[in-house]
Parts: sequence; C-alpha cells; structure tokens
Amino acid sequence: MNCQFKPKDRIGTINPIFTCQPAGAQYASIGIKDCIGIVHGGQGCVMFVRLLISQHLKESFEIASSSVHEDGAVFGALDRVEEAVDVLLMRYPHVKVVPIITTCSTEVIGDDVDGVVTKLQEELLDVKYPDREVHLIPIHCPSFVGSMVTGYDVAVRDFVKHFSKKDKPSLKINLITGWVNPGDVKELKHLLAEMQVEANVLFEIESFDSPLMPDKSAVSHGSTTIAELTATADAQGTIALNRYEGGQAATWLQTRWDVPAVIGPTPIGIRNTDTFLRNVNDMTGKPIPESLVKERGVALDAITDLAHMFLADKKVAIYGNPDLVLGLAEYCLDLGMKPVLLLLGDENAGYEKDPRIAAIKENVDYPMEIITNADLFELEDRIKNGLELDLILGHSKGRFVAIDYNIPMLRVGFPTYDRAGLYRYPVVGYAGATWLAEQMANTLFNDMEVKKNREWILNVW
Amino acid sequence: MPYHEFDCSKCLPERKKHAVTKGTGDNLATALPLGYLNTIPGSISERGCAYCGAKHVIGTPMKDVIHMSHGPVGCTYDTWQTKRYISDNNNFQLKYTFATDVREKHIVFGAEGLLKQNIIEAFKACPDIKRMTIYQTCATALIGDDINAVAAEVMEEMPDVDIFTCNSPGFGGPSQSGGHHKINIAWINDKVGNVEPEITSDYVINYVGEYNIQGDQEVMLDYFTRMGIQVLSTFTGNGTYDGLRAMHRAHLNVLECARSAEYICNELRVRYGIPRLDIDGFGFEPLSQSLRKIGMFFGIEDRAEKIIAEETARWKPELDWYKERLKGKKVCLWPGGSKLWHWAHAIEEEMGVKVVSVYTKFGHQGDMEKGIARCGEDALAIDDPNELEGLEALEKLQPDIIFTGKRPGEVAKKVRVPYLNAHAYHNGPYKGFEGWVRFARDIYNGIYSPMHQLSGLDISKDEIPTDRGFVTQRMLSDAKLPEEIAKSESLRRYTGKDDIIADLRKKNPPYFTPIVKAEAAE
Amino acid sequence: MTKITYKVTSEHPFPADAAAAAASLAAYEALDDVTKARVDQMVDWIMKNCLWQFHSRAWDRKRQNEGILGIAAKLLAGEPFTPETPEDRCYWVDSVTLQRAYQATCPWLATMSKDDIKALMKELHARIDYLTVTGSLNEELTDKHY
Repeated sequence: MNCQFKPKDRIGTINPIFTCQPAGAQYASIGIKDCIGIVHGGQGCVMFVRLLISQHLKESFEIASSSVHEDGAVFGALDRVEEAVDVLLMRYPHVKVVPIITTCSTEVIGDDVDGVVTKLQEELLDVKYPDREVHLIPIHCPSFVGSMVTGYDVAVRDFVKHFSKKDKPSLKINLITGWVNPGDVKELKHLLAEMQVEANVLFEIESFDSPLMPDKSAVSHGSTTIAELTATADAQGTIALNRYEGGQAATWLQTRWDVPAVIGPTPIGIRNTDTFLRNVNDMTGKPIPESLVKERGVALDAITDLAHMFLADKKVAIYGNPDLVLGLAEYCLDLGMKPVLLLLGDENAGYEKDPRIAAIKENVDYPMEIITNADLFELEDRIKNGLELDLILGHSKGRFVAIDYNIPMLRVGFPTYDRAGLYRYPVVGYAGATWLAEQMANTLFNDMEVKKNREWILNVW
Repeated sequence: MPYHEFDCSKCLPERKKHAVTKGTGDNLATALPLGYLNTIPGSISERGCAYCGAKHVIGTPMKDVIHMSHGPVGCTYDTWQTKRYISDNNNFQLKYTFATDVREKHIVFGAEGLLKQNIIEAFKACPDIKRMTIYQTCATALIGDDINAVAAEVMEEMPDVDIFTCNSPGFGGPSQSGGHHKINIAWINDKVGNVEPEITSDYVINYVGEYNIQGDQEVMLDYFTRMGIQVLSTFTGNGTYDGLRAMHRAHLNVLECARSAEYICNELRVRYGIPRLDIDGFGFEPLSQSLRKIGMFFGIEDRAEKIIAEETARWKPELDWYKERLKGKKVCLWPGGSKLWHWAHAIEEEMGVKVVSVYTKFGHQGDMEKGIARCGEDALAIDDPNELEGLEALEKLQPDIIFTGKRPGEVAKKVRVPYLNAHAYHNGPYKGFEGWVRFARDIYNGIYSPMHQLSGLDISKDEIPTDRGFVTQRMLSDAKLPEEIAKSESLRRYTGKDDIIADLRKKNPPYFTPIVKAEAAE
Repeated sequence: MTKITYKVTSEHPFPADAAAAAASLAAYEALDDVTKARVDQMVDWIMKNCLWQFHSRAWDRKRQNEGILGIAAKLLAGEPFTPETPEDRCYWVDSVTLQRAYQATCPWLATMSKDDIKALMKELHARIDYLTVTGSLNEELTDKHY
C-alpha cells in the first residue's frame, strides 16, 4: 500500500494544529441567537479564544468567563458560576441561552456543573427571573480530552439534546454545517434555496460577515434561534456535513427522535457537492433544478481551464480540521493533484473507520502519508528532510513553514487571520470548488513569478 | 471620591469604585479607582490569566529558548503567534511553541514522565537550542506535578542544557499580572547570578520591562550602543537566556514597563545593589530626558545630547506636521497596563490630542496612579473595564480614536471609532524618535481615513456629495488649518521606510557590542 | 434565591494612616496662596514627567521621595552634591533633571533666597509624600512583599 496511516512518533506537540475542547464549544455557542456562553475556568480560556475567533472573523462577540482564581481552584468554584449567571442575566436582558462550558481546571477540581444548573434553576431563575426564558446548558469540555474539533461536536450535540422537542412533523431538514465560515453557510443556504428546501441551520453564522452602519447599530452575532433548535426533532432528516463536527448530534437526533441522519460527505469539490445535493434530494424528494446544473457547469468551466494544465500532479500537504482536510484531499485528487501529506491534529478513534481514509489508502498510487495526532513540526520536519511540495493548504498558524521554506500556501480552514476576508468565501458547494481551484492556481502563479519559475508560461494563457 | 457609575453596571454596586473621573483639582488622594481585585464572574472582562502573564507576556520574548507549556495543547496554541515581539534570530520564539500534550490518562496517573520525555524530545528536535523554559498550567498544577524536579533531573542527565521552570497556573491571581510577578521572582531566584558575562564597556545596564514589540528594543539598543553602553540583558524582548542569567553584573537597571518587571528590578536593587531608573522610551521629551539621565548616571551625558540633537533635528519637523493636524482630537487610551502612563501625557504634549479616558485591563492601583497623574482633567479612568462599560464610555465620550487591543478594536469599529493596536501597534515600532512619528502617523491615518468619513454617511437619508471622486486625508485634515501651517515648509509628513528595523540590524551585531574596544579601534 | 454577595475586598480603610494624612493635608491647606501655587506647579511637573515617586510600596516611595527631593533641594539652593554610591547617583540623576526643569519653568525661583528655596522644597516634599504615601488611596502600598 502506498499510503501510510499512522500517529506521529513524538509524544509531545511542537506547534499544535488545534487548540483544545472549550474553544470548539465557544465557536459553536456564538452561532446561536441571544446566547452568551460562560466558560468555567481561568480567564485565559476565554480571552484568547475570543481573540482567536475575532482575528479570524475580524469581528467581536460576547463570551463570558467565570473567572476562576486561586481560591476557587482550591475550594471549588461553583459559586463563581452562580455569580456569573446572575451577573450576565442582569446586564444582558436579551440573553436566553447560557451554555456553561467547563475546562481542564474545573473538570480536575470536579465542579458539579450539572448540579449547579439545577440549583440555579430553582434558586435563581425561578425566583429572580420567573418571566424570562433562560436555558442553562452544561457542556463538558475537559481540555485534556479530544481537541477543539470534539469540543465543537460535543457542544452541537448538547445544544440539540437540550432544545429538541417533538411537535408537528415538518418539511424542514436539519443542516449541521460543522466548523465552517460565514461564506460557507451562505453558499449552503443558497444551494438549499435553489432546491426549495427549508432547513434548520446549525449554526447560522452568515451574519458574522456584518456591516459597519452609519447609525452604529450593527452587532455581530449568530442567528440560529431557539425555535430552530427545538424544531430539529420534527425535521424530515438531518444532514451533518462533517463527520467529526456535528456527527454526534445527527446520530443523537436519529436515536432519540427517529430523525434520519446522513453524515457527510463534506461537500468540498464538485463530486462531494453532487452527493450532498443527491442526499438532499433523497431526503426531501425535491429535484435538483436546472439552475444548479448551470452553476455546476460554470464551476466546471472555470476548473477545466486550470485542472490539467496547472494543477495536475502538483504535490500538496494539507492540515487542519479532519473533515476539511479529507474533503480537500478528495477534491485535490479529483483535480489530478497529489495530496502527499495529510495532517490531522488529534487522535480520534473514528479515523480508523473513516471510509474516506480507507478509500484513499486503497487507491493512491504514489507515496502518501496520513498522520494523526499530528503537529506542524511533522510538516516542517518532512520538508527539512526532503519532502517536495508544490503547495500547502492549511490555516494561518502554519504560515511560517510556508514562509521559511518558500512553499506557496493557500490559507484555508480556521483560523486564517493572516489573509484578508477569507471567512467571506466558501470552500463548499460549486462556488467553493471554483474558489478553491482558482485560488490554488493564483497562489501557484504568484509563486512562479516570485521564484521566476517558468513565469513566462502565463503570457499566453 | 468622583466615582463614575456606569448605567450598565448599576446592578453591580462594587463596580462603582472601579471608575473615577478626574475633576478639576482632583489628585491622587481624591481620585483613584480600586484595582487588581478579583474579577466579577460573568461581567465579560477583558482580562487574561496568570499563565499568559508569565508565558506569553514575559517568558516568550526570550529568543533563544524552547518555550514549553506543561498541560493540554490549548494554553500553548492560544498564546502562540498572537503578539508582535520579534527577535533578531529569525523569530525563533514566535515560530515555535511546545506543549507536553497532557491527556486524561496523565491527569489520572500524573504527567511527570510525560514531561521528561517531552523535554528530551524537544531538545532533540531543536539541536541548536540548549535553553528551555517550562510553564505550569492549570491542569498540571492541580494534579501536583513537580516540574522543578523533572527539570533538575534532565539537567543532570544533559549537562549542556539549562532549564527554567515557572509555576504560574492560569488561576493564580485576578489577571495576567499575577504571572508577571511569579516569573520575575522565579527568574531572579533561580537563574540570575549563575552566569558570568563578558564585560565589554565601562557602562553596563540591564534593559528591563521591554518586549521588543515591532522592534522597540532594537531601536533603544541602537541609542544605547551609540552611547557606548553595554546592554547586558533585555528583560525580555529580544533577550537571551544567558544574558538574563547575568543581570547581576549590570551597573544600572533601566526600567520601562514597571507593571510587568518592577519586581525583578526591586530584587536586583535589594540583593545586588543595582539601582533602578524608571524611564520612558515613548515621546521626544520623555525619551530625551531618559537618555540624558542614563548618560548622566555614567558621566557621558554629552553622548546622549548628541543623539538627542541629531534625532530631534531629523524627526521633530515630521512630528509637528502631525501635531498640527491632531490638535484637540479625543483619544481613549485603553491599553493593558503600562502604556496608560507611558503615553497619557506625552501624546497630549507632543501630538496635541486630548486623552478623554484611560483604562487598564490588568494593572494595579499603582498604574492607575501614574495614569491619573499624567492625564488631564475630565478624563475617565476605568479599572478592569468590561464590554458594556466600554461601549457606554464610547457612547458618552465620542472619541476620535481609541488605542486598545484587537478584539475591543472590533467593538469600537462598529460604533465608528477607529482603533490603533495599543499592545502590538499598527505600524511600529513606536519607541524612539522615529517610532514616535510613526505612532503619530498611524493616529493621523486612522482619524483622517476617507473611508472613516464615508462610513458615517447614510445614503438613504443624507445628502450624498456627488461632486467628487475622492477625498484625500490631507483635504480632510487641512480643511480648517491656517494656511501658514497647512503650507508650512518647515513641517513635513513622515519620510521613513516601511521597515526601519532591518537597517538597524545591519548596523548592530545581534548580541553584546564591545563598544570600548570598537571605539579604541577607531 | 441564591444569595449572591459581593465581597468588599479591602480590609483596611485607606489611607492607612488617616491621622498622618489629615495632618499633612492641614499643613498644606494652611500654606499661603503664593507658596501653595508654587508647590502645586512643582508637583504638577513631577506628576506629569517623573516616575520615581511611584515605586510600589510606601516605604520605598518615602525613600525615593527623600532621596531625590533631598538632593534636588540642595542643588536648587546652589549647594554642591557629590553622589557616593550607585543609589545616590541614581537619585542625583533624577534630582538634576528636576533642578533643570524647575529652573527653566519656575522663574520665581531665581528671586528666592537659599533658605526660602529649602523651605519651599520641604513643603514640596511634604506634599509629594502626602500624595504618594500618606494620603494615597493605593491599597497595595502597605503590602509586605514587593
């Protein structure tokens, strides 16, 4: 077999690809309307995650901390949660959803967050805020388990578990997007609109591409409502685009409420988008319209200009969130490229059984590695030791590998703070396929010019 | 006490004592907010944690060191590549960060073995680096890992390496300031005095509380070098591990950010008799005064005067070009700690702006004392501000620009207040004479951005001016300026290069500069 | 209802030595208008331009104020001062800076006698001590550690 699939050899992490679980839960929480999460732990667990997400989206939004200090770490810090909930509710009268996200410190000291939620319901909400709809939702995110990816997955599941309730059957479907950008949500909604399918979108973060208004009124926040979360139990089915970011919620909805679940594929590239539309069609009976045939054609027209002339045989390394990496790898293969190194930044038991990985292992005819529990030093070390790459696809934290080794890199994934506006563009759907192919090509073109590597080729393209 | 009560915080009575307005006749005995107290949970404060204060703020700017955090990967990832403290060794400390990657099984069974393996592995991965710092995090502090013992064991086995440990978990104190304190004290206790430096000048200083944001340290180092002063160590921006072990041999500690580094200066004074001289590297006059004082201390004031004269002649006309155009502009000076006092008076005097508010995210009352002492009347001083208070203050004060962090800057953007990054700068360095002009330029470009003006136009309601295809900053800034100033030939806009550090590096070798020998050779 | 109490973190009333603070304030208030205006002007320069008066502990501030203002008083009165130790030298540097600033911005100093200058500097010292130590509202000043 040409493809090696294995965890990295070193025990430690040099230049991590992911941050930890609470960050994922926080990213999920900002997708919900009237929601401000409380992260139960030290202040850095919020301050830096807000900074990180804010750098990526170039927007601000609210997440609170229970501000655990020394005494709390010694004697237990549940009083800090109690105080945080009340302070938050007093000062943010619109807030209805308050996830309480634990961290390593409060999991180690064993704070009973579930217990305190019950207590707060009886002693605070029922007494001080009897006429207000408030949902306190414990989300357990010990940082020493999983990664930001599993934190996102757990949070989506726990939100769905908390809110979903059977009412009347509905024609809507649930669309669980996974960890994506505002531009992706926009494209997914567009595809569904063309199919005339309505969806509960988890999470509706298109609004994070928000305006600067003359009356100073704009505020960035997610838009998925409590009603939509509640209605997930009534949907015709659930499509979770990402196996590792929302898959658990889809499975839970199927088990608990008999809502059929389709998990994957991540609709990156033409083929996976086709499959996605076919899945929607299967689930709803709605036909794929002519308009999408045309959009697909526009994408293929653009891609055909690039694929076999410029992209074919180009060796690519890809790192980031697993569904993104695997989706990109599949698309690169479809483009005739050679993904030679895939780096997945955590060790998820699911990778062993992931059909995408199995298919890649089975079919690639050149040397390739898929490394789990990987860090960015795995990439650098291989380059240092002779791995030849034409292109890197990954997020901004790996920028210095590209810079120091003069390898062109297209920023994709989370976070991409060192390039302007990337959150606005989709990588999913036909629009995403076009964007990816064109940006990869432009990145290569730019590199040809900088390095004077057959730059004259483009004279007659 | 002229406390300021925010409407949004009326339900939090104790917040009232965290903000004051400096009225006419107020002084430090009549107006000072509380500070450095436990944060109110759920208030959406901007504070970070003690781990980041130690690792991210102070430890990591040390450039020739493997910086390893003992815990799950998140602490490491989150505090990696979010600052602009550069170094002249190709930014090793910015590029590489190390986490021991603690998992559930380690929480249950202990992570000391994991730590040891990590240390050995990291040195193997970076064969040129022989120094390491290890930072405790919340998780490993709570399970009681003895990082000192592990480090000692490795040092015994690997005699060519040296390891520093810092026990400052995130929960240790109300803010990042707790970590500043811990790492200062740990460094002087464990590392200072165990390396003997080569002394190459008669004038030897430690440059303390300077983090080389966008090259600040290198600008100042250039001045010191031109004065013939040997900078034994910088604590810590662009500083070397072994240089910092030799701090005890300096004649003088020159201190910039007292908030984060006064502790080590105080201890050096007590233990080694090295005096502490607080200086300001920001602003022509404060900087000139600072260079003069250092010169005076060594009896080489003339060397300082020469630099001051040269630099002032070169850059003052450019500073004044901006000052004329920034007069009266209202500024919210909302940094983390020390800049509130480094900048408050200097920007009013030298750029003509008016500081309408100062705040400190993580500072102590001592920082607020300096800030209030240095700002003018009517300024609103806020300790540990939170999201809603910040917005309320912006609404009330209507500043023309705000100097704060990246994320709060995004909040300001929505209410049409341009922001400059007070921590990492926009186009720094801001220290030094040229740097100060660069700061003025960034302020000018922010306030007079034609885009900023356009963002206030409501095309559905307002008169749309259709007579022009563009507006320049100059058209906006000079509209009401007297003609003799607008057309003055003695004033000019900034004329420096984009990158002013590259040339400095060509000029100065990266480590100690043997001035005495160099001068003798001339 | 969950009882949420907001702790008052300060255990000690500030300023720490209320009697000393009151006495110092009274003495300042009792100054004649001209002296008061001069002291205020001198204080303002220190507050806006200096950092030495803001070390973090009361005992340290007293030492700093005494070191620097003591030498400055001598220099302004035209008395020689030769620093002997590094610490003195560091104080002297700030004292000279103060001397120059006052000579440049306080023309009335030139009209005063040596003794009057010394007396004025004593009032300045008292006022700075009040503002930074005895009357200071900074609750960390009495912390035993740095």
